Amino acid sequence: MNEETDRALVKRTLRGDRKAFEMIVRKYQQPLLNYVGRMVGERELALDFTQDVFVRAYASLRSYSPQFKFSTWLFKIASNLIIDHWRKKKLPTFSLSEPLGSDEDCLTLDVPDGEPGIGRRFELAELRQRIERALENLPGPLRELFVWRHINELSYEEMAEIKGLPVGTIKNRVFQAKEMLRRTLQEMS
Amino acid sequence: MSCLKIMDIYDYIEGSLAPEGNKELERHLSSCPRCRRAVEDRKLVAGAASGLPPFAVPDDFADRVMARIAPLKIRRPAWLIILACSTAWLAAASVLLIVSGRSGLELIAGAGHSLWGYVKTGAVFTAKAATLLTLAVKTLRPLLEAAYRGLSMLTSLVPPGFQALILVLALGIAVSLLLAMRKKLSLGD
Repeated sequence: MNEETDRALVKRTLRGDRKAFEMIVRKYQQPLLNYVGRMVGERELALDFTQDVFVRAYASLRSYSPQFKFSTWLFKIASNLIIDHWRKKKLPTFSLSEPLGSDEDCLTLDVPDGEPGIGRRFELAELRQRIERALENLPGPLRELFVWRHINELSYEEMAEIKGLPVGTIKNRVFQAKEMLRRTLQEMS
Repeated sequence: MSCLKIMDIYDYIEGSLAPEGNKELERHLSSCPRCRRAVEDRKLVAGAASGLPPFAVPDDFADRVMARIAPLKIRRPAWLIILACSTAWLAAASVLLIVSGRSGLELIAGAGHSLWGYVKTGAVFTAKAATLLTLAVKTLRPLLEAAYRGLSMLTSLVPPGFQALILVLALGIAVSLLLAMRKKLSLGD
């Protein structure tokens, strides 16, 4: 139903109905800003980038293929924009399909006996603040997956579609992101 | 069962384990406090991460996006343009043949006529066309006006693809009618 609405709005926009595109903007402004904001850090920059995502989407709306979900198409545009930004700023980035080297071992169970877990050590509000700070230290590609999974609530299939990678690879990287975040939280405390 | 792997823990938290695997894992959890703590802690962090506050979207965000985009040019499909042009040419050629009262072959064969012959034919043709046009304007005007009003209403209700189909069908019928009436008109020289 939701997808049908999106497709109908895209059709109307292509027929010249600007109001339909405005409805798309209002529908996706919040989820996109939640994602872009956590990827670039600064609020004003995030607002500019989110605007750019919609402008780019509008300009290339004819290339949108209705066989894909409109939301994943929008997130793909946003992701490409952010990768360009990282490259321009020469921020470290890597392909999710490549092995992470020594960071691969974060998928081994590491629970010290007798210590309370990280989730028990803080009140919920403080834990959330710490998660936000820990997120900033995650490598960009892993942070992106974490945000999509936990904040945008995308499915592994949707993330795989956006990144053009197998679902298994994406799932593995999401678990890795979660474990790296846990480790950062432990180091911070 | 030996202690859990990280992937199993996350699959368990996300409810994506097969029922049998789920039962086996729960059996292990009931006897292993270390794994129980690992699961509980990851659940707490995942829960906290899913409730991170959204970024505030300015009230005029959508307006700002809409101010940056220009209206889309409505493109007609190439096949529709080709079809319309060929139909128009066909219709024009048919009308010309009917009004002149000559067949296409006759016209080609008559290419050897003297210039005077063409002038005479042209003069007769012009006079007859003018008479026909005057007659048509007088008699067909109310009909044309009604058709115009009907078409205006139709184009506002019917999608462009269907409109093209109706147009082609209508032209086809008109041409067939004109061909059928050709003998009756017998406007030849």
